[in-house]
Amino acid sequence: MALLALRLRTFVKRLSALSRHPYFGFVVFGIALVVLRLFALGGIVPNSLAKSLTVTMIYAIVALGFSLLLGYAGLASLGTAGFVGLGTYFIGHFSGTLGQTFAVTLAVSLAGAVVLGAVVGFISLRIEGMYLAIITLGLSEIMREIFKSFTAFTNGVNGLEFRNFTLFGAPVSEFAVDMIVIVVFILLILGTLNIIKSPTGRALLAMKNSDSAAQSMGIGLMRHRLLAFVLATLYAVIGGLLYMMDQKFSIPTTWSLDFSLNILAAVVVGGAQSITGIILGTFMIFGLNMTVLKEIAFFREFPDATWIVSGLLIILITMFYPGGLIRLINAIRFKLTAAIRKIRAKWRAYRYGEDD
Amino acid sequence: MAKMIDAFLNSLRLDAVARRREQRTFLSEYLPILEKSIEVKAASAIARRQRDDLARLHDAAIAAGIAEPTIEAERSAALERIRVRFDLKRRANAQNRKRALAKRTASELFDDVLAELVAAEAAAVADIERRFAPSATDLPAATQAYRSLLAAVTADTAAVVGAIVRRRDRRFAVVRSTYAAKLARLDARIAELVSELETSPRDRRETVLRSRIAALTRALDKKSAAGASAAVRSKYAERIARIDAGIAKRTARLNPVGDDGNGNVLPDGVILSVRNLTMRFGGLRAVDDLSFDVKEGEIFGLIGPNGAGKTTIFNCITRFYRATSGEMYYRKNLGQVIRLNDYPVHDIIRQGIVRTFQNVELVWELSILDNLLVAAHTVYRTGFFGQLLHTPRLKREEEVLRAKALSVLKTLDLLPYAYAVPYGLPYGILKKIELARTLMASPRLIILDEPAAGLNDRETEDLAKLIKRIRDDHHATIFLVEHDMGLVMDVCDTVCAISFGKMLAIGTPAEIQADKAVKSAYLGEES
Repeated sequence: MALLALRLRTFVKRLSALSRHPYFGFVVFGIALVVLRLFALGGIVPNSLAKSLTVTMIYAIVALGFSLLLGYAGLASLGTAGFVGLGTYFIGHFSGTLGQTFAVTLAVSLAGAVVLGAVVGFISLRIEGMYLAIITLGLSEIMREIFKSFTAFTNGVNGLEFRNFTLFGAPVSEFAVDMIVIVVFILLILGTLNIIKSPTGRALLAMKNSDSAAQSMGIGLMRHRLLAFVLATLYAVIGGLLYMMDQKFSIPTTWSLDFSLNILAAVVVGGAQSITGIILGTFMIFGLNMTVLKEIAFFREFPDATWIVSGLLIILITMFYPGGLIRLINAIRFKLTAAIRKIRAKWRAYRYGEDD
Repeated sequence: MAKMIDAFLNSLRLDAVARRREQRTFLSEYLPILEKSIEVKAASAIARRQRDDLARLHDAAIAAGIAEPTIEAERSAALERIRVRFDLKRRANAQNRKRALAKRTASELFDDVLAELVAAEAAAVADIERRFAPSATDLPAATQAYRSLLAAVTADTAAVVGAIVRRRDRRFAVVRSTYAAKLARLDARIAELVSELETSPRDRRETVLRSRIAALTRALDKKSAAGASAAVRSKYAERIARIDAGIAKRTARLNPVGDDGNGNVLPDGVILSVRNLTMRFGGLRAVDDLSFDVKEGEIFGLIGPNGAGKTTIFNCITRFYRATSGEMYYRKNLGQVIRLNDYPVHDIIRQGIVRTFQNVELVWELSILDNLLVAAHTVYRTGFFGQLLHTPRLKREEEVLRAKALSVLKTLDLLPYAYAVPYGLPYGILKKIELARTLMASPRLIILDEPAAGLNDRETEDLAKLIKRIRDDHHATIFLVEHDMGLVMDVCDTVCAISFGKMLAIGTPAEIQADKAVKSAYLGEES
């Protein structure tokens, strides 16, 4: 009996050691998402909730890429929408219209993302700050015009539909798409975490702080700026691919400045350097009105009022927690641990008769 | 063509040697860390085992009423805690009672409280006694059970500890022999490469060239014997002379006191040579035809009034500015001489030149330790995909570089700040961190831009000692710009004074202090 208790104690200890691993929280989060999706399949939670969480996750992937650009490399870009749109048309055209295998689509999309990211990266070597934002905005608008007029590829202003999506020769169900999104989301989170905690992540931060200091430490500006843009574009294009798998429809009006600004807001509101913060920020900007507010009768009657709520939240958070939502979370966590410590001390005083 | 191939092969060999030497230092730095981690792991396994043993024996010992020293100590500590607490309370109560008596209020209330206190203390003591009292009904049996458990646990632990120690020793042996083998392999390869570098290409080429000369000489002899014209003979002589010159050039190039391949030789013991450097900004000549040599292992100071162009010189050497004209030569760790003008700014640190900045340029979001790791960016060998996947290789590199960063911080007395962020640290500390950062990439030439700016006298004194220590411990050459004359005259071996981009004087600190031109530049024409 005593031995069993001992075994149990060591097991708990092992688990608590594991929980300190940086991946732990995110993996648990991913498992929770899968469980939630299974509940939706079983009808325990509404299906609409699961669907809106999937869309939020797709936006969070785009936001993660953008945070590498803004929070780490310190480069402002407003071209996100164009890249996501490009991703949707890649899969819609190659997998949908042409009926190619998914491997071909993936190869073409990733190659396209790398080339495009490298081009924007080259531009960023010459132009910085506000002007870079304007240039990328222009690029995004050019891409939107191309989406409108290049009808053979995008089906123009009528929008491109994407049905009969097959993977390994089998049609992919809605549930499978959601699973794919969850897995890709978690894998990209872990990848981002690895990049952030590696020499490259530190090099990006060094570059953001001071170009000249970074160069004197052997950090090549060209290599790292290109890398940041290529990564952001890759994330955006992957987001686009998933978006098309999930929504099955893409139209040029979606990929306007609004979308880029919303991603920017999600990253800034969440906390540009924290993955948890970005997930929270994306949920606040995109997920909140889809999951929570839609359930309230008032907002169902006036759907546009949800924008007022998110606008107010943005103002409040940037006023009181300029570092983003993550600061708020950290403050709460700090208070909680302090309270727990206090309660524990009291308990010990009671139990062992220590001085109070 | 053959010459080009030879040069190319040589450069490959040089790179290979450098790479292997780096790998060698890396491995030899990693071995102690690995050994320590094995040691710590084994020790903590043993300690864990012993702690668990105590926990297992504890309850049984209490049940049998056995006065184990640890249990006895625990019990007396608990009793002592209660005694102290109730003493305090009693004393407070007595004081309150005295005060109540003085004020003629209800002092008898405190007698009741005292009685309560006594009762509570007795209850607490009884509680402790109960907790430590033998709980078994059959004490001899419980004692017997305890004894057998003790024997079992002791034997068990002895076996486990023995196994742990054996496993540790086995791992030690394996690690040591693997590393010895790896190092031996590397050493052998380095020796092979160095010998190839030193002998074979030169010898082979030279033999070929010399045999050609011999053939030409023979041909010439034959032609002269046959009575050829003076023009033909001079043509042969010219060819022989050309090949001879080629041999001489090759020998010069392959000499350890090398040149950069174009005949620009650096004198012995000079690490950096700036020749006729000119930097023009529009019509302004910030640096005007300046030449000087920095010797290996010295502390070289550059002084001059404000706007003399000191920082501009630094920026030219570290390639932040493209010099309008002039050359800069630098000797690398294996004696190769390179022309710095050919290297982009982010490659300069790879050649062994590091610099600091006038205003502190740290990464504010990262801890001090991570800031040092940023400075070690060029030391990492793991590529982007390795970083994306956090391969064991990256983890190993991080471990070694973290250990190195901590040791650098320790030598500069910065260890308490290792995990702090730079925000809010005093300026003197930040300056020191800048200095610590330069040491991460194993530099040969450290360029300090006004290291004493913003420091008080005491800190400046410390800095002087520190600069000398860095020079001695890290075998580095130090090149500094400074306004603080005390510091310059104290630490520098050679001082170079400039004004408006032109050289005023160069020499020992004493010579500079006595120099008329320097005095007039600083104090005005008349003095």
